[in-house]
Amino acid sequence: MKITQREVGNAVILDLNGKLTGGPDAETFREVFKSLIDRGKKNIVVNLEKVSWINSTGLGILISGYTSVRRGGGDLVIMHASDRIESILYVTKLNLLFKSYESEESALTAFDEK
Amino acid sequence: MKSEESESPQDDVSVATMKDRRQQMELTFPSDFKYLGAVDAAIQDLAREFAFSQSSINDLSAALIEACSNAIEHGNKFSKRKRVRVVLGFNGGSLSACVFDQGAGFDYNKLLGRSLPPEPISERGRGLMIMQAFTDELNFKYVAKKGLCVELVKVDKDSTTKAEGGEAG
Repeated sequence: MKITQREVGNAVILDLNGKLTGGPDAETFREVFKSLIDRGKKNIVVNLEKVSWINSTGLGILISGYTSVRRGGGDLVIMHASDRIESILYVTKLNLLFKSYESEESALTAFDEK
Repeated sequence: MKSEESESPQDDVSVATMKDRRQQMELTFPSDFKYLGAVDAAIQDLAREFAFSQSSINDLSAALIEACSNAIEHGNKFSKRKRVRVVLGFNGGSLSACVFDQGAGFDYNKLLGRSLPPEPISERGRGLMIMQAFTDELNFKYVAKKGLCVELVKVDKDSTTKAEGGEAG
């Protein structure tokens, strides 16, 4: 799993590339989120456009990031989730936790609403 | 084809195809999440051969990836010396996958009796939900001399009539 960070407005977009399955990815994500929070970055968009699929361990990684950001007073949303990923979020009821957007523009509005 | 411990990367994943009245394919791989992509590719290819709809393929793949993830993490505990074996079978409009690990086994009745879903922000406990949601049957059973099998069955309502029109493969 490759993670690229970019800042757009008041948000940081994490572009993920690969499969979100846990293992070494979990530690990488923890470090990324710790670094973001240390730098005061609270509005996070996780771009899943290049994530082909996810398993329950990968969901745990996203939840861990969500929890860290929310504790810091911020929010984490996702964008460009494939139908496969959306269906997994739905059956695990995590669609109720993660706001999911179809475009970067609409994802960024999540932070304007506050 | 035998699946043996090997140091060479190209021998890490072994595939055996056996054709008889019930089409079967076996896939054996080390206990590492990086091989889950090969599992996805195998089920995608096989299911397409049997004219499964893409949504049914994706459903079965999601459940199978989850079962293999459990075998790697909870069954084999990421041991490089232990392998996961998947037996894929096609039988008249349904695809089944049996996932075996080389771990000590576990009390699956306890797992099945667990209340679902977990707390919304719990990082664990959704594997069973995924396997149940995306399959028509989910069975845990011991197979003599082979160990615990997690069996996933997916019936594709559209494929039965298509497959009858010609032989797959």
